[in-house]
Parts: sequence; structure tokens; C-alpha cells
Amino acid sequence: MATILETAASAGCFNTLLAAVDAAGLRGALESAGPFTVFAPVDDAFAALPPGTVQTLVDNPPQLARILKFHVLAGAHQRAELVGQNAWASLEGAPVAIRRSEPFEVKNATVVNADIACDNGVVHVIDRVILPG
Amino acid sequence: MTLLLLLLIPLAAGVLLPLLPLPAATVRSGALVAALAQLGLGLWLWRHPSDDLSLNWLPQIGLRLDLGLDGLSLPLVLLAALLTAMAILTSPQDQNRPRLFYGLMLATNLGLVGSFLARNALLFVLAYELILIPTTLLVAIWGGPRRAGAAVRFLLYGAISGIALLTAVLAFGWLQNGGLDFSFRALAEHTLPSGQQRWILALVLLAFGLKLPVVPLHGWQPLTYSEAPTPVAMVLAGAVSKLGAYGLLRFGIEFLPDAWTAWASWIAAVGAISAIYGALNAIAQLDMRKLVAYSSLGHMGFLLLALAAATPLSLQGVIAQMLAHGLIIALLFCLVGLIETKTGTRAIPELSGLLNAQRGLPFTMGLMLLALMAAAGVPGQAGFVAELLVFEGSWVAYPWPTLVCLLSSGFTAVYAVRLFNRVGFGRLDNAKADWASTSWSERAPALVLTAFVVLGGIWPTLLTGLSEGDTAPLALRSSEAVTVIATSTPQELNA
Amino acid sequence: MTLPATAPAAATTTPLIPPSTHRYAEVIHRLEAGGSMLPDTPENLKQIIGIYKAYAVPMDFYWRDLLYIAEKVFLNPLPAFKYFISQEYLDRPNSYAGDQSKLRIWRGGEKAHPELLEFMARGETGKMPKLLHHLWHDRVNMEFAEACMQAMLWHQGMGGRFNDYLDSDAYKANADRAIRAYFRGNPLMLGLYKLFPEMFLEQVRQLSYYANLGLFWEVMAPVFFEMSDIYDEGGFNGVPDAMDFLVNGIFAVAGRPIYHHVFIGGECYEIIPKSEGFTWLYEAALPYVEAVFYRTSPFRGTKSYNAQAGQVPSDQADFHYGILYADVYPVGSAGIPPTLLMQDMLHFLPPYLKEIYKQHKRGEEDELIQLGITFQRSMYNVTSAVIQALRCALLYPLDDTDPEHLMANRRFFEAQMDRFLRPEARLSDIQSQDYR
Repeated sequence: MATILETAASAGCFNTLLAAVDAAGLRGALESAGPFTVFAPVDDAFAALPPGTVQTLVDNPPQLARILKFHVLAGAHQRAELVGQNAWASLEGAPVAIRRSEPFEVKNATVVNADIACDNGVVHVIDRVILPG
Repeated sequence: MTLLLLLLIPLAAGVLLPLLPLPAATVRSGALVAALAQLGLGLWLWRHPSDDLSLNWLPQIGLRLDLGLDGLSLPLVLLAALLTAMAILTSPQDQNRPRLFYGLMLATNLGLVGSFLARNALLFVLAYELILIPTTLLVAIWGGPRRAGAAVRFLLYGAISGIALLTAVLAFGWLQNGGLDFSFRALAEHTLPSGQQRWILALVLLAFGLKLPVVPLHGWQPLTYSEAPTPVAMVLAGAVSKLGAYGLLRFGIEFLPDAWTAWASWIAAVGAISAIYGALNAIAQLDMRKLVAYSSLGHMGFLLLALAAATPLSLQGVIAQMLAHGLIIALLFCLVGLIETKTGTRAIPELSGLLNAQRGLPFTMGLMLLALMAAAGVPGQAGFVAELLVFEGSWVAYPWPTLVCLLSSGFTAVYAVRLFNRVGFGRLDNAKADWASTSWSERAPALVLTAFVVLGGIWPTLLTGLSEGDTAPLALRSSEAVTVIATSTPQELNA
Repeated sequence: MTLPATAPAAATTTPLIPPSTHRYAEVIHRLEAGGSMLPDTPENLKQIIGIYKAYAVPMDFYWRDLLYIAEKVFLNPLPAFKYFISQEYLDRPNSYAGDQSKLRIWRGGEKAHPELLEFMARGETGKMPKLLHHLWHDRVNMEFAEACMQAMLWHQGMGGRFNDYLDSDAYKANADRAIRAYFRGNPLMLGLYKLFPEMFLEQVRQLSYYANLGLFWEVMAPVFFEMSDIYDEGGFNGVPDAMDFLVNGIFAVAGRPIYHHVFIGGECYEIIPKSEGFTWLYEAALPYVEAVFYRTSPFRGTKSYNAQAGQVPSDQADFHYGILYADVYPVGSAGIPPTLLMQDMLHFLPPYLKEIYKQHKRGEEDELIQLGITFQRSMYNVTSAVIQALRCALLYPLDDTDPEHLMANRRFFEAQMDRFLRPEARLSDIQSQDYR
């Protein structure tokens, strides 16, 4: 299997996410053993944000890192495990809410593709960028 | 002759202005000019005293046109003229039925000035009665929602007052031997036994007690003062009520001194009761007009107390209080009327925050503060001067009624502060605050009156200077602490 | 690229969720349709754009002077001249205006606005030395900005990480370094610092809030200037358009770092470094809205803070003295923050707004009250933008087809409207055009 980032790169629809990870300087962390659970927003999710949002974040790595860390949980958790709890603590610190019944939603994003296994964790594909608060 | 002119001005204006085909604005200005001319003439007469006038009119019944001004009547003539002028200024530019209105106002003025000028008792009664009908009509036609009842009550009480006075005067004249001589000189020199004096004094007290008024003869006053239109209330409370005190001064103290001295302690008691009654009722009022009316009632009690004491100082206080109260009460009615015109209400619970500089009535409320302070007797304004003279002059004679009146004066501060606190301070309701700010022409009468009130406070001679010389001889008892210094007097008292 | 706040007209299809039964149901439905709490009328639009421009000019001074105080004046024990902003800070380029800006919001220049400079020179009186203007109080009322800062400092529990960071060891260490550097060679102050370290630390915390607010308003000023320019060329079709511009602006700048750098002796001391990751949205904007729009504090002297008197709420979150609840009449005399701002805005009203004021109520005599109410309307619009932005960030699009998502949106809007149920709220007043 590939690492999380390699999986994302080969999928082809996470270009913005990967660029953001590089800009935030989190590549090294996400290439490590982990394991991590990553909620990966697709490119369309970033595009749906109002103009300038991503640019401002990319220009400010610490702030971007914070948003990206909100999409990552410690440990590798499959969907079945995730829906056992209302909320999980993200690496950023703020909790990520999980919808425990059908359909599988993370905060206000829908998981379009769950349980993609990688070397150092699990990836769930989401259709929106999630934000703390 | 100039004295006759004082009467001819309102007479001519009162007849010509309504009858000539003039636009309403000209009628208003003409009436104002007449009142101001009368005031000017009065000031001129102060500087150039004129001899008494004495003309035959109806000698068969003893009615002579005896006119004269002395230290007691000149200040009151000036007050009447000033208040008439200010009342006309207060009346709205678009006054309903202006011809009749200003004609009646000038007729009232004629009666007032005639009463003060008269030196013949029958002439006095004639002028006194003359006031009744115009004022009743003024209340009945232009008054508030309950004007009909107010006018009827006012007329009834006024009629009884007139009848009582006429009876007293006629009895006076009839009981004297030596023909029907009603002149003041003759009455002052009368030699009636004290029993008859007391009967006449009883009638005199009834007549003028109804006019002042004093408790328990005050039934007409709160209703009439609150239903009358603002200009009429100013003249009624400011000048016409002073006629009652003037009458008591002349007919009671000057002409019936023995009877007066005998009953003085009762009169003082009635004055004290009236003062407390007025003040306590004022505290309870929720209607601004009624509050001012009861305040007036309270202040009339002070007048009665000072009249009862009849020391030189207290009689100076009588004149001072007549002038001061006349100005202050007219000012208060003027301001309350202005507030009512602008905000549409005079109920205290509905008003608040009028001091707001942007959307309230700050100028009016500023003047209202001065007026209320003056009414409460705060030093620096005319009310204090008058009350000081009244209380100091009456204390030596009747300490307990004076104490009660002092208490009443303290209560004045209570309702003054409460009124200002409720209406001036607090939060202005934005939803209701859609009136325009006052214009200078609306502020003018209140401003003039305030100026006089403040002037009287810092220059007390304004209130007492004209009358000092003439009140001292009238005193029925001495007050050791006072030396009366006669300043410039207009003329000797014709005794 | 979809604008998140607008939604297609749903008039022809049956609604997916039943109507709201909240007291402010009408407003909630308007919000769900992509609108603002303020009704969409041409006059409302004219009023709020005009007042945004009038607000932005003094705001240009506020943010510059706030940063001047936070970065330069710092711990000066006798800051008598803290409002005498240096030319450097007047010329400090606004990061969101001017040609050099990386994310240009306003088409205009990056230095202080020309109207502001003119006012600073002339004031209401005339050309005078700056000291005389200052003593006569014929200047921009900077005290208002400081009062806003104090509101943010005093209120707790408003979200974000900023407040908690101020108590952390890293912050204390940074502050200690800066304090020692600032008072180098001053044994008296250093001795005082040794005796009362907490006092100096608290002063530094306050100065960090100065910086926070300054960085917040650095963004808002060009946003408002641009809105005024767009309106002048007819670019807004209604109040929702203006609100959408604000929403986009909020998102665009959401990631801006919030920091506190102090310049002592030519060197930069980072008391709150950018690497801490504080964002404009979470650490500045949202606490600002909560502290200044909703909570603030009552007018001085009008309420007793005595706990037994029970006149102020015992819970800070219940404070309701912000502009959204404000009674616009000045209570008492000068020195009360909202009136200070109203006085400032009076100097920069655009002519079309003056025209409106001349025709209503007392015309030119009570412009202050009228513009105060206009300002209140405009702040309801800004709050609507914040609410819509939060909904967009944390909840679902308005044109979502899932009824459960729509109900989540509904619950969010209703919770926001619940804050306006108390009698002091002006939400129902602003629905009518007669409220002037």
C-alpha cells in the first residue's frame, strides 16, 4: 500500500490539498508512521470556498497548518469505529463531530468515499472543507 | 388724564380690532401692541406720577369715575399689562376665532386694570364684575374637553363672589352716614362700629376668598385652570387671582382694620391650611396643569397668611408675592402649555426625557427648571424674595401658621423636583419623539417672564421698590425687627 | 465559483421544511433565502453604504493608532501623546489596499485616507497646531477604539485561542523579554517590574488586544471603502448583495495571522508570533463581534456593578449593551463610546446621506441621532454577514436539498435569533423604515 500522501497524489483530485500540505510544511509529518485518520477534501471543495480564502491561508503557513490539522485525527479509524462516538479530537485540538447514523457525515461535509486504507493510516474523502467552531 | 388712557387703550383696541376688517395676524399683533402700549404707559406713569382723576358718572348712586395709582396698584397694573401681552404672545398664530378671542382678552384686561385703578368702591365692583363674563367665555369656547363644566362652575363661584362684594360695598356705603360716597377716601375714614365692620368683613372675605381662591372656597380653581386655554390660564392665575389679595388689602386691612385684627388669627389659619392643602394635592397630581393649579392654590395661602399678619414687612411681602407669583405661575402655565402643544400630552406618566438635546425640548425644560426652582422659593429668583418677606413678616405675628406655610414651601420643592425628574430626565421614547423643536417666537413669552423672575430674585427692589412706602402705613401691627425705608414712591397715599 | 450565500428562488417548488414558528420567523426565512436581517429596500442600502464609508474613515485612524500604541508606545508609563500618531504609521501600507497589496480589497491607496488627513489638519474648528486640536478634543475620538479594545479584553468565553494564550508560559516569556528590553537602563521601572510582575504583564496583555483590534480593523476599513466605491458605480442591487460582499471579504481574510510585534530600539520583539497560528476569523473577528456588537458594557454611571443591586447580568454572556441592543440617545454627557463614534462619523457623511437626514425628523439638528440609527442598521447587516459566513463555514448551503441539513441551518438561525428575543434588541425596530 502507499502512504496517505501517495494515495492522494495518485487519486488525482487532491491537488489543492497536496499543495496546501506542502505550503504548511506538514509533508514530513504526514509521511511519518502515524497512524493518522485523514479527512481529505477534494479539489472542488477548496474551489467552493470564496475567492481569496485559500490564497490567504497558503500565504500564512501556521494558519494553514491549523486548518489542515483539523482534518487529521490521531490513530487509524475506520468508519465503523468512527460512528461509535459523537466527536473525535483532531490534531488541531478542536473536536470533529461525526454523524452516527446514515449518511456518513463529518461535521458539515459528506464522506463520499470512506475507509481508503494506506500504510500510515486511513483516508476518508469529503466534499467540503471543514472548519473548527 | 393719562390714567384714563390706561383704560382707553384696551377699550379701543378691544372694540376696534374685532370689528375692523383686518386679517387674523393683524388682530393678534394689534392686541399685542395694545397690551405693550399699556405696559409702556404704566412705566411712564411710574416715572411721572399723575394726579388722581375724578369724574362724575352716576352721582345718583355714588358711582364716580375715581381713578388713581398708588404704590399698591401701580405694580399690579404693570403686572396685568405684562401678563396680557405675554398671554397674547403665547396664543397660537392660527388661533381659532381670533377676533372674539383677542377682544375678550382685552376686555378682561380692561376689567383688571380698571379694578386696580379704581378709587371708588362701586367702580371697583363694576370693573370686578366686568372680568367675569369675558373670562367665562374664554374658558367655555376655547377650553379643554371639560370646559363646559369648568366654565359653569367658574361663573357660579364668580357670580357669588361678585354678589357678596356688591352687598358688602353697598352696605358699607349705606351704613355710613353722609350720603352715598363710595370713594376710597371716604371708606378709609369711616366710623362704623366693630359689629357692623365684622359683617361687612365677612362678605368681603367671602368675595375675595372665592377669587384668590383659598380653601374651602376653591372648588372652581383646579378644573378651571386645567381646562382654560394656556393664555387664559396665564392671565387668570397670574393677574385675576391677585385681585383677590388686592381687594383684601384694600377692603380688609385698609378699610376694616378693627374687624380684620379681630379675625386675623382665623384668617392666618385658613391661609396655612390652604397652603398645605395646595402643596399636598400638587404632589399627588399626574396632570401637569392640575399640578400647577394646586401649586397656585398653595401660594395663595402664603398671601393670606401675610395679609393676616399685617406687619409692615409682611405687607411688603404681600406685594412682592403678588408680583413674583404672578410672574412665576404665568411662566409655569406658559411652559406647560408649550410642552402640551409640542408633545400632545400633559400627563406626567406619558412624558420623559424631554431634556434630550437632540430630540427633546431642552430649551423649554431649561426654562421649566428655572420656573420650578422659582416656585419652590430657591434663592436667586423672585419666589425666594417674596417668600422670605412673607415668612419673616408673618413669623412675629403668627409663628405656627408660618411654620405650616414653611412646610408647604418645602413640599413645593417635592413636587417641583418630582415633576422635573419625571418629565425632564430619563429616557426619551424615540417612537413618540417626532415633534419639531420650539421656535424663538414660541419661546419668547416664557423667556421674557423668566428674565423678570430671575431679575426679581437678584434685584429685589423690582418687587418691593414701588410699594414700600405705601404698605408701611397700612400695617396693623409693628414688627420690631424691621425699619421701613421709604424709597421713591409714585405718590402719597390719599388718606 | 459559487457565492455561498445566495440561493435560487424556491418559490415554484414546495419548501422542503415547514415554516418556522419563531417570533422572528420572517427574518429567519429571509436569512434562509440568502438575505440579511435588515430588509432589502433601496433606502436601507443607501443608508448602510453611506454609513460604512463614514465609519471607515475614522476606522483608518483607529487601526493605525492602535498598532502604533501596541507596537511603539508599548509600556510608556505616561503615554500623553499616544494619539499623536507618527508619520510612519500614517504611511504604513494597508495590506489590503494599494498597488503593493497581495490581496487587494480596495482599489484606493494604501496610506491614510485623504479625508482623514484633512480632518486631522482642520478638525471642526480650523487649522491649529496639533496639540491645540488634541486639548480642545477636536480630533478623532480614539477613546472609542480603546473602549472596544477594553470590551474585548474584559469579556471572557468568546471563543478562539487568543485569550488562553495570554496566560501561557510562552507568552509570559516573550512578554518578559520585551519588558526588560523596553526598560533597559531604567532601574526604577525594572525595580517596579520585579515587585509587581503581574501588573506589567497585564499591561502587555492589554497591548496585545490593541494589536488584535488594530489588525482586525485594518481589514474592515478597505472592505467598507470598496463597498462605498462599488455602490457609487451602481454595483449593488440590494442589501443582500452588500451582505454577500462582506461574507466574501470575511472568508478571503479569514486566514490572516493575528500577532503582536513590538519595536524596541529598532529591534522586533515577537510577543505573539505569527507561528502560533492565530487567525483573523477565530481570534479577532468573532470575539470582536461578540464583545462589541452584543455585549460591551453599560453606559458609565447608568448601571451599578454592585452584585447585590442586580442591575447588570451576573453572567458575562448575558451582557446586552452592544450596538445591536443600543438605545441611540446619548445618555449623559460626552465620553460614552457609541456617541464618540457617532461624533466621528458625523464628519465624514457622504452627501446623499446628509440629504436623507435633512428631510426627516429635525433635519440637520439631530443628524447625530439619525446617523446613530443608520449605524445600528448597518451593524445588523454586518452581523447578518457574520451569521451567513458561519453558516457557510460550519453548516450547509442554503440550496441544499437534504431536509435534515436545512433543519440544521434552521436551528442555527433560530439560535442566533434567540439572542434578539430580549426587549432591548432592536431587530424588530429596524424592520420598519420609520425607525429613524
